[in-house]
Amino acid sequence: MATLKAIRRRIASVKSTQQITRAMKLVAAARLRRAQEALLNARPYHEALTRVADSLLASAPEAAAPAENAAPVTLVIVVSSDRGLCGGYNANLIRAAESEAQRLRAAQSEPRFFAVGRKALDHFRRYHYPLDGERINNVPRLATVGLARDLATIIGERWRTGAISAVGVVYSQFRSPISQRPVFEKLLPIAPSARPADGAPVTDYLIEPSAAELVPRILRSYLEAAMLHALLEAEASEYGAKMTAMDAATNNAAEMISRLTLEMNRARQAQITKELMDIVGGAEALRGAAA
Amino acid sequence: MAETFPFRLVSPTGIIYEGPIEQATAVGALGEFGVLAEHVNFITSIEPGLITLKLADGSFIEYLLSGGIAEVKDGAMTVLATEALPLAAVDPAAAAPEVQQAEARLSQMSFYDPGYQEAEQALRNARARAEIAHLSRLAH
Repeated sequence: MATLKAIRRRIASVKSTQQITRAMKLVAAARLRRAQEALLNARPYHEALTRVADSLLASAPEAAAPAENAAPVTLVIVVSSDRGLCGGYNANLIRAAESEAQRLRAAQSEPRFFAVGRKALDHFRRYHYPLDGERINNVPRLATVGLARDLATIIGERWRTGAISAVGVVYSQFRSPISQRPVFEKLLPIAPSARPADGAPVTDYLIEPSAAELVPRILRSYLEAAMLHALLEAEASEYGAKMTAMDAATNNAAEMISRLTLEMNRARQAQITKELMDIVGGAEALRGAAA
Repeated sequence: MAETFPFRLVSPTGIIYEGPIEQATAVGALGEFGVLAEHVNFITSIEPGLITLKLADGSFIEYLLSGGIAEVKDGAMTVLATEALPLAAVDPAAAAPEVQQAEARLSQMSFYDPGYQEAEQALRNARARAEIAHLSRLAH
């Protein structure tokens, strides 16, 4: 059995860990609120742009096809976090990315990863996956218009030059602070939306200046909006996962402290009993000697 | 009173303006254009400049757009702006040095450089902000 002193030291250490996890939980909760708000605000733009891109491409489908002789390569952008301590968030994400890669290989398209966030990069490096680039240390915020533009530029360039024939992004979809689901979203080529079965005509637009000139611009805006959306979802998910993980850690610490306190009290009582026995035993011995 | 139509101005940071308007005037790829109720279905790109909205009560609102896309579909207009600022938030004095910087950067680039289009866009953006008082349609 551990000594009283050792148990006391242990309790103090667990308590300070608990303080840290509690603080991290509060910070994550505050950031989550902000991230959720940003996600909500960006939704109308993303939805409207996807709709416009969709309807424009329906009236000019040839303008958004992959470059001629494009390599059968799919760029898979994996949006992970830079830091850990967020439960199974990154592990689930990377597992989803890997199963997507397997599916792509089966479909005769070579997957190449692009890591956003240190956790994805570390993983892909460790297992020697084909890496096509990375953006790590996205502090203090992951979901910025700047990073979304940067990624859209990279994708756009590879798409134009024919280095890739498809692009997808793996990110965690934020459903609630305790539930995040990794998803794979195909960005390019844009799948034509399902037409009404009765063959209703596609909306006919007056396009200025011309579809050929406008499509690259819309494509660019579409990529930017889609990347920003993925980053925002990922950011909210990360903080949700972190908050949940830190909440669990704080609870575990509380449980551990109460168990250790019990153990400490038992040890103290045992020591008192032992000391009493010694005194009584000593007194008895003295009385025996005097008699 | 002229007929109104539903209008929405959205940017990545949220819905900037939503409601019925009588007329919208903005700068498109082929120059300034106006939209009234029952406009034909239409898509164009938006160039850096002002959008002026005439509301049902006859008053006007203006925003500075840094680019984007405008769509009219089934009588409703949606403007997707990469950035939209209310006029009061624009500081022409702060934009003046940005114009110079952007001009200097652009003068050292060739048309085929990878960042050329972005630099050109930045210059047009800064110019629009610096000349905001001049651009406003309400002042005239």
